[in-house]
Amino acid sequence: MFTDFLQLTVAGLSQGSVYALLAVGLIAVYTVRHVINIAQGEFAMLAGLGSAWLTASGMPLFLAILVAILTVTLVAIAMERLIIARVKKLTPLTSIILTLGVSTLLQAIMLLVWGPEAKGVPLFPGTNILIGGVSIRSQEFWMIGALVVVGGGIVLFYEKSRWGKALRACAEQPVAARIVGISPVAASVLAFAIAGFVGAVAGVVASPIYLSLWSGGVLLGLKGFVAAVLGGFVSFRAAIVGALLLGMIEAYVAGYVGSGLRDGAAFLILILVLVVRPQGLVLKPTAVRV
Amino acid sequence: MTHAIMPTPVEMRSPRKRFWINNKGTLIGCGILVALMIVVPFTASSSIMNIVVFAMIFALPAIGLNLLMGLAGQVSLGQAAFFAIGAYTHAILLTKLDLPGPVAATIGVIAAMLVALLVGLPLMRLRGHYLALATLGLGFIVMIGVREWDVTGRTTGIYGISRPTVFGIPIDNSGFFLWFVTPFVVIGLILALNLTHSRAGRALSAVNDSELAAESLGVNTYALRLKVFVLSAGFAGLGGVFYAYQVAIVSPATAEFHLSVSILLMVVIGGLGSVWGAVAGAFLVQFLGEGMRDIIPAIFPGATGEVQLLGYGIVLILVILLLPGGLHQAATTLWQKLPFAGKRPPGDAHAHATWDDTTIPQLPMVSTPVAAGEPILVISGLTKRYGGVIAVNDVNLTVPAGSILGLIGPNGAGKTTCFNMISGALTPTSGTVTFLDQVISGRKPNVAASHGLTRTFQNLQVFTSTDVVGNVYMGRYRKGSAGVLRGMLGLQAVEQSAHRAASYEILKSMRLTDAADDSASDLSFGKQRIMEVCRALAAEPALLLLDEPMAGLSGAERDVMAELLRRLRTAGLTIVLVEHDVAQVMSLADHVAVLDDGVLIAHGDPESVRNDPAVVVAYLGTDLDEAEAELSELEEHA
Repeated sequence: MFTDFLQLTVAGLSQGSVYALLAVGLIAVYTVRHVINIAQGEFAMLAGLGSAWLTASGMPLFLAILVAILTVTLVAIAMERLIIARVKKLTPLTSIILTLGVSTLLQAIMLLVWGPEAKGVPLFPGTNILIGGVSIRSQEFWMIGALVVVGGGIVLFYEKSRWGKALRACAEQPVAARIVGISPVAASVLAFAIAGFVGAVAGVVASPIYLSLWSGGVLLGLKGFVAAVLGGFVSFRAAIVGALLLGMIEAYVAGYVGSGLRDGAAFLILILVLVVRPQGLVLKPTAVRV
Repeated sequence: MTHAIMPTPVEMRSPRKRFWINNKGTLIGCGILVALMIVVPFTASSSIMNIVVFAMIFALPAIGLNLLMGLAGQVSLGQAAFFAIGAYTHAILLTKLDLPGPVAATIGVIAAMLVALLVGLPLMRLRGHYLALATLGLGFIVMIGVREWDVTGRTTGIYGISRPTVFGIPIDNSGFFLWFVTPFVVIGLILALNLTHSRAGRALSAVNDSELAAESLGVNTYALRLKVFVLSAGFAGLGGVFYAYQVAIVSPATAEFHLSVSILLMVVIGGLGSVWGAVAGAFLVQFLGEGMRDIIPAIFPGATGEVQLLGYGIVLILVILLLPGGLHQAATTLWQKLPFAGKRPPGDAHAHATWDDTTIPQLPMVSTPVAAGEPILVISGLTKRYGGVIAVNDVNLTVPAGSILGLIGPNGAGKTTCFNMISGALTPTSGTVTFLDQVISGRKPNVAASHGLTRTFQNLQVFTSTDVVGNVYMGRYRKGSAGVLRGMLGLQAVEQSAHRAASYEILKSMRLTDAADDSASDLSFGKQRIMEVCRALAAEPALLLLDEPMAGLSGAERDVMAELLRRLRTAGLTIVLVEHDVAQVMSLADHVAVLDDGVLIAHGDPESVRNDPAVVVAYLGTDLDEAEAELSELEEHA
């Protein structure tokens, strides 16, 4: 009974790690550009399908993953340069339509290139372990490890490094940031690069268990958004906690209620949170001077 | 001499002619659409017929989404969810309960609207991206729900829906079906067009320009947006009802995210805010999708499934990048280039001439609910803190009716913060504002406005998407009564033209008649300020809050403004103004209140405030004698 609970918790934490990485990518872009990137989930699927295809055609696993992650990071940068940067006045309306367009385009490309079937990257090396009746798959360690290393790295980057601080400055005081010489173009490119990178990492570590599907990105990206909202959408740490919570809640719903309802849980939580605490969820209060 | 170019008031023409003029475009457009739909079944191939039928079905959710995006400025990424709710409800009621078609269809539409109401009640309060993502989530919930529920037939869905019968004729082929659906699309189109031009529709487009200004004129943004959201779900539900009839099977795929994307694409291609665009977009997207499904497998052998998404994604991006106004923008640009298109005369040269004359010809109406001298506005203990900073500290003030109160103070003294708390733009940390015995503090600006309090803004809040008279017309919002339903039915022409005439009158009294039909954003800064005053006066307020009405005005304009304010006071209007021009305030106001560092340091008639040593020191500098010298010098200059 209790081992079941622990088993679900482990599954939830590993799945939550994937959501957390996506939430980190969403927040990175949102803080700098005030764009909620609907294509965030597609980054994960693109990296997953890409590395599955590369390994299937004979490339060593880690080389394939590396190539896929770098490619997706470049795709994210290209998205910023070729599309997002071309719009002078990005309103929430246009940013949603644009990133939705990119998301749809990426989905169609994945469908055309890799077909409609779900594909998985081979399991990463490692051994499954059994502690007190709870079995933890090695891939789940990889997923949680990816969050610790990459997610933690991004948080450290933002808090400690010069570039990270510059990015935060851009988000909080765009005009002041420009005056002290932080280029808004560079900040925007960097933010999208981070989004592409973390999305791709999430996609490849989850792919061996959860598989990658051309149309799976929207749902996954939306889970990342729910996590970001749960965490208040301003801090990476809070969003990561929110993502892990979401992963666990989903696992419990799937385990105790019914696996078909698992995806519904996330959105019920989203709507519930938006209803109960909307004031705490305002992304960044826009001060209107009148 | 003023030479006003007043257009013939619409109500002077005969009713039949007025109807024709107001609705010419709609009638011609609908005529062409109906004629096409009558002819198509006789000429088109069966595959084209199929596309046309689906285009007409999807035009309904597209019109709904267009209203939501164009009017409420919100995106729904879950339009397919409401479409599916309509389709499922209709199908279940037909097949399991054997209800008559019209009843099942009506309940289907109502079900979609009810769900939208439940979701919208909490969510329409939120701005920005939340509605988009919440509706995206709703789409998934609906899809999961119908897949897991026995009543909705799980993954198989509902099948065996029989075709409707109209006047004994079974609608059993595509041609009949097209004729069956066309009247509904045309009616929906007319209702939507009416709504965009109605009082509610104009209010919503004002909200998109400046939510604060619109609310300060009495627009209840939340309620209006919620109504439009529910309405847009109703359109989607109706589309779903027809879809269930046409396809005869309703599966979880009707709630698919990709369907929501294609509906969104119809709206984006057609042009946000253009109802006709949504219909044209529905046709284009259906043809595009069908074309892509033919072409893509030819280019990429073996490609199956939703390959049309390639085209959808590219078109979405390209339209926003290259033609953000969609087909509507393209059509208007093209129309203006045609030689026979009616061109508006260029702005005339009279605009500046009229300001030499400083007499005020007419006075806008004011409402005087309490006798002069009675308290109309009572401010008690008003405080605003930002973290550790106290912007306004325990301000107590009573404003008697029929007088002008000048609120002065150095920069950063908290004057505008005070104003914002009075008008409802800001919620005070503590303290209350009572207007006409109603507590209005901490509520939205439209509450204060509905009781007769309007304001202008230090940083101008102009409705840029309309002309000058359109701005002033928005000031009449409080005086109108037509709601969404009346607007859709087009039963408010008389009310609208009366308000329009009143707006012209007010512009005339402030010498802006010549600029009435110019775009509001083309006016000079000073004229925009005067226009804001006109807009506030159009509401026939009992209390007018003016935030620096003289800033940016020329000397002559200032004199006209001051004279207008005096006359308005004589007519019974109560005015509170924040102003930097101390001399103007001293000569104009009956009472002067001085704020310094958020604290009310003096309050009384201009003479006693002028001589109050605390004021002089706080306001003008350190040394009393020096400050007095400066003050008198200032007044001499003015």
